[in-house]
Amino acid sequence: MDPSLERYSRQMRFYGVGEEGQRRLLHSHVTLCGCGALGTVLANSLVRAGVGHLRLVDRDFIETSNLQRQVLFDEHDVAENLPKAEAAARKLGAINSSVYVEPVVTDIDHTNIVELVKDADLILDGTDNFEIRYLINDTAVKLNKPWVYGGCLGSHGQTMTILPGQTPCLRCVFEAAPAPGEAGTCETAGVLGPIVNLIASLQAIEAIKILTGRLDQVNRDLLYFDVWDNVQKRIRIAPLLGKVDCPCCRRRRFEWLEGEQGSHTTSLCGRNAVQVAHRAATTLDFERMAEQLEALGDVSYNRFLLRFQAEGHEFTVFPDGRAIIKGTNDVDKARTLYARYIGH
Amino acid sequence: MAIKINVPTPMRQHTGGKAEVAATGATVRAALDDLGRQFPGIADRLFEKPGQLRRFVNVYLNDEDIRYLENLNTAVKDGDELAIIPAVAGG
Repeated sequence: MDPSLERYSRQMRFYGVGEEGQRRLLHSHVTLCGCGALGTVLANSLVRAGVGHLRLVDRDFIETSNLQRQVLFDEHDVAENLPKAEAAARKLGAINSSVYVEPVVTDIDHTNIVELVKDADLILDGTDNFEIRYLINDTAVKLNKPWVYGGCLGSHGQTMTILPGQTPCLRCVFEAAPAPGEAGTCETAGVLGPIVNLIASLQAIEAIKILTGRLDQVNRDLLYFDVWDNVQKRIRIAPLLGKVDCPCCRRRRFEWLEGEQGSHTTSLCGRNAVQVAHRAATTLDFERMAEQLEALGDVSYNRFLLRFQAEGHEFTVFPDGRAIIKGTNDVDKARTLYARYIGH
Repeated sequence: MAIKINVPTPMRQHTGGKAEVAATGATVRAALDDLGRQFPGIADRLFEKPGQLRRFVNVYLNDEDIRYLENLNTAVKDGDELAIIPAVAGG
């Protein structure tokens, strides 16, 4: 055996992977959208398994309430005010330095998603909302790239693998996202660590099958689990392909990718917080901003984010002008606060 | 026909917390209507308007999606299991 492959010896000994499969993995490129609960488990699995290049995209920073389930983060990361993608990349670099881990701190939207995934062999879903999943679905179907959906809430979760043209896409199976308040969020229903680990692990094995070229082994059903109520379901979805008049994969109308659907300002799942995005490209000068905001009280900043308090809300601002405003779920109020303290 | 219906967590406030309830009817629609009669409030969560399920609620009969069967008109028989599974957003 090639000595550089020693760390993967147990994985290669597994008949389904072998040296050929391992070499394919080592040359693969994955874009992971979201590095929270599902995302950290996915990133950990893939970096240990030895993918070649992992692009980690996340818009958020780490908080104490993440530590219960987001396996790559610890108390030091919270104290350091690190963005999730950056903190994860540091941990992953120590786990397997031979993988090229590329952290990207940004909000994925229809203007940047193609750039983020166009060179990837596979897109993985570690996100927490349907708006972005429909965007991923549009992009994956249009560019003909496989992707793996996973979602978790409370004690239940589900996952499916999308091979464009060969399996139903996300919109074939779920025609629309639940309206706010219809299906609960991590904040109202909570979420348990083990269901996240289970769903993300199922996504990870699908990733390994796809990246090693074993599409024949891919799971073609929708899998649903409730680990508290002891429910496991395997729903046959293959017959939906071509049967439903899917706007995305059948009619090839990419409403999310074209920006006809979706918004930049969103209430964040489970956070009592709103993200306000700045539409025009910009790079904020934190030093100058800190001077301007000094009168309000404590302003702290590092290379990745600036934080201050005003009117009982905590503002976290990113260099691209995006902000997360805590203490409200009211999108309009958050926009007003953004305009008042950060600008238009 | 007596069948079992699995109620998803977000809708259990309408079934007194019950995860599984019994319902009767000859079709999926009749069984869901019976569910609505037993537990007022749940019909609103299931249906956009009479005869039309909300677009993010999927209904599976014995783990088959009713959309490739005969949708709400799919016939059910004794012992069948109907699962209501909404899209799961978190992560």
